[in-house]
Amino acid sequence: MTTICQIDRVSKWYGPVIGLNDVSLQIRPGITGLVGHNGAGKSTLIKLMTGELLPTLGEVRIRGLRARSAGAKRFLGHCPDVDAFYEEMSGRRFVRTMARLHGFGRREAGERTEVVLAQVGMTDRADRPLATYSKGMRQRIKLAQALVHDPELIVLDEPLNGVDPVGRGELIGLFRTLRDRGKAILVSSHLLDEMDTLADRILFICRGRILASGSLAEIRTMLDDHPSQIRINTTQARQLGTHLLALDLVQAVELKDDGELLLHVQRVHEFFGQLAEVVTRSGIDIERLRVIDASTQAVFDYLMNSFNHPR
Amino acid sequence: MKTTSKAGILRRAAAGWHLFALSFSRLFRSRQTLVCALLLGLASIAVAAWSLRDERTPAEFIEQIFLAVFVSFLLPVFSLCYATAGLAADREERTLVYLLLTPLPRPLVFLSTSAASLLLAAAWTVGGTTLLCWIGGPAGRQAWGPLCPAVAYSTGAYVALFLLVGVTFRRATIIALAYALFIETLIGNMPGIAKRLAISFYTRCLIFDAGAEFGIGASGPSDPNLFIPIAADSARTILCLLGGGLLLAGLLVFTFREYTR
Repeated sequence: MTTICQIDRVSKWYGPVIGLNDVSLQIRPGITGLVGHNGAGKSTLIKLMTGELLPTLGEVRIRGLRARSAGAKRFLGHCPDVDAFYEEMSGRRFVRTMARLHGFGRREAGERTEVVLAQVGMTDRADRPLATYSKGMRQRIKLAQALVHDPELIVLDEPLNGVDPVGRGELIGLFRTLRDRGKAILVSSHLLDEMDTLADRILFICRGRILASGSLAEIRTMLDDHPSQIRINTTQARQLGTHLLALDLVQAVELKDDGELLLHVQRVHEFFGQLAEVVTRSGIDIERLRVIDASTQAVFDYLMNSFNHPR
Repeated sequence: MKTTSKAGILRRAAAGWHLFALSFSRLFRSRQTLVCALLLGLASIAVAAWSLRDERTPAEFIEQIFLAVFVSFLLPVFSLCYATAGLAADREERTLVYLLLTPLPRPLVFLSTSAASLLLAAAWTVGGTTLLCWIGGPAGRQAWGPLCPAVAYSTGAYVALFLLVGVTFRRATIIALAYALFIETLIGNMPGIAKRLAISFYTRCLIFDAGAEFGIGASGPSDPNLFIPIAADSARTILCLLGGGLLLAGLLVFTFREYTR
C-alpha cells in the first residue's frame, strides 16, 4: 500500500522539554486513530505533519515532499482543533475562499464548495454568518474546508468535538466513505469509544513516544501481561468451566453467581478456535460471549499501565 | 511536465492574487477603517477651524498643521492600523492556520497580505494629506505637491516596520502603538544624531527640503544646530532602503518562524 506520509526519526524539542521523541511511522490509506492523554505529543505530531512546526531532528514528508513545503499542502487537508474562522463570512463563503486560496478558479471553487458542503451536510445551512453557528456546524465547516481540494491525506484534530450523536454517525460515515476512496485519514480524538469502530489502525502515544501501533486486535494480542477477559453466559457454566480449564490458553476461570463465566485467556483468536471445538464436543449451549477488554479504552489503559509501571 | 509546472505557477499566482483581494477586503471592512476615518475627521475639523483665519501661508500650514498633527501622529497611526491588522491579526485570532495550510509559499502569503496593508495605509496617508491640504485653503493647496512624496516614502518605511513587528511579536498593535507614540517621539526629538534612528526624522528632512520654497526649515525645537538635517536625496534613499530592508526582514521572519496557536 502506498505511503502517503512518512515520518522518519522525528524529535521535537520545546526548549528543554521534549514534545516528540524519535518517532518513525508511515501513514497509509485508511483511517488511523491517534490516541493519547493531553500533553502526550498528539498536537506536536499533527503540527509537524501539517508543517506548522519544524522537526528538531528527523524529517516529515508527504508524498515525498517536505511537510512544510507549499507543494506538500496540495496533498494535505487539515481540520484544526482551534475554533476560529473569518467570523464575518458565511460558511459557504469561507469554504469557497479556501478553495480559491488553493488556486481554483471562481467556477471550480464554487462547484467544489457545493460538493463538500453536501458531504458534510451543510448545504442548506451554509449561508448564515459563521458567528451564528453551533459548535457542531462549525466543526462541519472546518471539515468542509479540509476536503475542498480533495487531498490524499486528511488530518483531523478532534473532528467530532461538539457534534451531536446523530451528526457523529454521519461524519463517521463520511470518514469511511473517504477511506473507501483511498484517502489516508489521521484522526486524533479523545472519544475512544468511537475509535473502536472507526479506526483501521491506532497509534497510542505517550510522553512523545509511540507506545504501540497497529489494529486494535493486533495490539491487544501483543499485551501478554494482560490476558483478555471474556464473559460467557451459559446454563451449564460449571461444566463448560471444567472443560475450558484444561486448555493451555486459559489462565483462569471465575464462576459468577448468575451462571456467567469470566475467563482470562491468552491469544484470544487462537482460543476461539479451541472454544468452538469444546462446545461442539460437549454440546454445551452458549447464550452470549463478549470480550470485555478489547476496546480502545481498555487497551489504552493497559498500555499506560505498562508504560508507567514497567516490570 | 512543463505544462504542469506552468499551470502550477499560474494557479499559485491566482491564489496569491485572491489572497491579496481577500486581505484588502477584510482590512477595508475592519474597525481600523473606522478608527482612521474618525481620526481624519477630527483632524479635518481642526484644519477647517485653523483655515478660518485669513492670510495663512503654506509655511504656517506645514509647521502648525502638517508636522504637528499629521507627521507626528496620523502618519504612523494610519500605517500601523493596517500593518498590524494583516497577518498579526490573523495570528491573534488564530486564523493564520488556514493561510498556512494553503499551497502558497510563505513569502507569497507575506507579500500578498503586506501589499494589501501597504495599499490601504498609503491610501489613507496620501489621501489624508490631500484632504487636509484641500481643507487648509490656498495655503494647504500650495503645500500639497511638495508634501505628497515625503508622505509616500515615510508610509512605506512605517508599514514595513510595523509588518515586521506584526510577524515577530504577539500583541503587535500595542507594541507598534508604543513605538509610534512614545519611542518615535522620544528619539525623534533627541538632540544630535540619535534622532536619525527615527523614521520621522527623514520625513521631516524631506519636508524641510521640499518646503524650502515656502521658507520653512528646521527652526524652534527643530533648530538646524540641534536638528542637523540631511539632504533630501539621502533621506529618500534611507527611507527606501529602510522600507525594503524591514520588508525583507519581515518576509524572512514569516517564512522561517513556527507559528503555533
